[in-house]
Amino acid sequence: MNQKILSILAFCLIAIVLMAGCAKEPAEDIHAAKTAVDAVIAEGGEKYASEDVKKINDTLTAAMDEIKAQDDKMMKNYAKAKELLAQAKTDAEALKVNLPVKKEESKMNALAAQEAAKTALADAKAMLAKAPKGKGSRADIEAMRADLNGLEETLTEVQAAIDSEDYTVASQTANSIMDKSSEVSAQITSAMEKVGQTK
Amino acid sequence: MRLYVNRVLSLLILIIVSGCSASIVPPEVEEAEKQEHHLWRAEAPIYLPEEYDQYKALFHEARKNFIRENSRFHLFRNYTNITLQYRNVLNAGAQLYEELEKKKQELSANIPIKILSFRKKINTLRGLISLMNEGRLARQDLVKADVALLEAEKYHEKSDYKAAEDKILQVSSFINAAEEKVMPIVNRYGNQDQVKKWQHWANKTIDESKTNKNLAIIVNKSRRTLTLYKSGNPWKTYQIGIGRNGTRDKLHSGDHATPEGTYKIVKKLPKSRYYKALLINYPNKDDRKQFLSAKKKGLIPEHAGIGGLIEIHGGGRDSMTYGCIALDNHAMKELYNLVHIDTPVTIVGAVNFQNRISSALQEF
Repeated sequence: MNQKILSILAFCLIAIVLMAGCAKEPAEDIHAAKTAVDAVIAEGGEKYASEDVKKINDTLTAAMDEIKAQDDKMMKNYAKAKELLAQAKTDAEALKVNLPVKKEESKMNALAAQEAAKTALADAKAMLAKAPKGKGSRADIEAMRADLNGLEETLTEVQAAIDSEDYTVASQTANSIMDKSSEVSAQITSAMEKVGQTK
Repeated sequence: MRLYVNRVLSLLILIIVSGCSASIVPPEVEEAEKQEHHLWRAEAPIYLPEEYDQYKALFHEARKNFIRENSRFHLFRNYTNITLQYRNVLNAGAQLYEELEKKKQELSANIPIKILSFRKKINTLRGLISLMNEGRLARQDLVKADVALLEAEKYHEKSDYKAAEDKILQVSSFINAAEEKVMPIVNRYGNQDQVKKWQHWANKTIDESKTNKNLAIIVNKSRRTLTLYKSGNPWKTYQIGIGRNGTRDKLHSGDHATPEGTYKIVKKLPKSRYYKALLINYPNKDDRKQFLSAKKKGLIPEHAGIGGLIEIHGGGRDSMTYGCIALDNHAMKELYNLVHIDTPVTIVGAVNFQNRISSALQEF
């Protein structure tokens, strides 16, 4: 009876050792997790949810470190690594679902700022076209026209930023152009008042 | 025997159960994880990339060793070295954080100073270019500098110092571009040899007016004045406009520059496109010499001639002629009636070393 129990125990121990020793690296889980993370980065995750992406990358790194540690052992156990990989995959997939919303919001803000800048610039140009000529004002008008041309050139940078999905930069530049255009409009108004023509 | 087997079995079960229970992980591990994340949020990779990489290598090594140690059977785990490693990581992280705060403080203090300095430079340059029609060439660059400076201010307000610094670099490049366009034009007015040359022309004309007891005209481009001398004494002064590129010396047809040199009135036109007009004998001998030399050097468009038909005319002292000197009609009427054919006309950039443009240059 005792020998039977000892034999069963010995058999169980050997079985456990064999099973653990034969455990394979979770290649499929690794691939699935990495694919999910890459998909998030491709969608611009680092721009619009940088902190979330970092957490996911940290989880993935921890999983790979765990796998490497297990690889060096005789009795391998990838359970924890699989758990981490699954977490990274789930988090990445959840983030990818929400990303388009954040991106779209940022894009809408940039487009609105661009429109506002274009309007301010157009208003300034229209005002300049009505400014009185003669009596030494032509030089001033040419100078202000040069200013507005400079602003128009800067506006192309806004479009370039939007095209490369740098929406924050686009918004920032557009707002500055709008401020400057308003400043030029004020200068035109002041010049018109000097010549005795107010509107 | 049965008792013996029961004891062995109990011991085995105890070992297995205790192996399955959670090990006590050193608290330094979690602290280091939090510290690493904190440093990343504080933008250490952006402001101190090299130092951050070194810290990360240390952190990663500690973490690798921890994972390896943690994967061992419970009874064989020893976290002593792990704890020491993580303490090193925490110390390195604390030092990095200190350096990061110092760097950000420096930037936070320096950026407003740079912004102020560039704003002053832009305003001074704007003042300088307002003295010349050619200033419009630089205005596009100056307005771009203005916009970039506004952005730098906004980034600084948001504590995004890296972005603010990048914008300040842009400001600098726009200001340089503006300078390149106007400095070659205005530097002449601060050049002593050039001003001496102008002084010589003007003084000679005035001396001759004194000797011959006749009228003479001196045009001062930097002051935008035309002075009528009588027997060597200034008699009447009128405000004028000059060419679209009038600050420069005329070189060829179509350059819209107002010529410099000694001329005379060769024709009086009672009715011209611009009210009354006085035609002068541009180009003179020196102008032709200058033109040929410039042509040889390839400084003039191939098809361009030397130009001509430079007048003093009415139509308003609009500062944007094709090279002529313009007066208001009432002033032109008076001048026209006073002068005659052969009246000397000397056109200079300035007669003082401290002229309007050189003074503005010094300020710049």
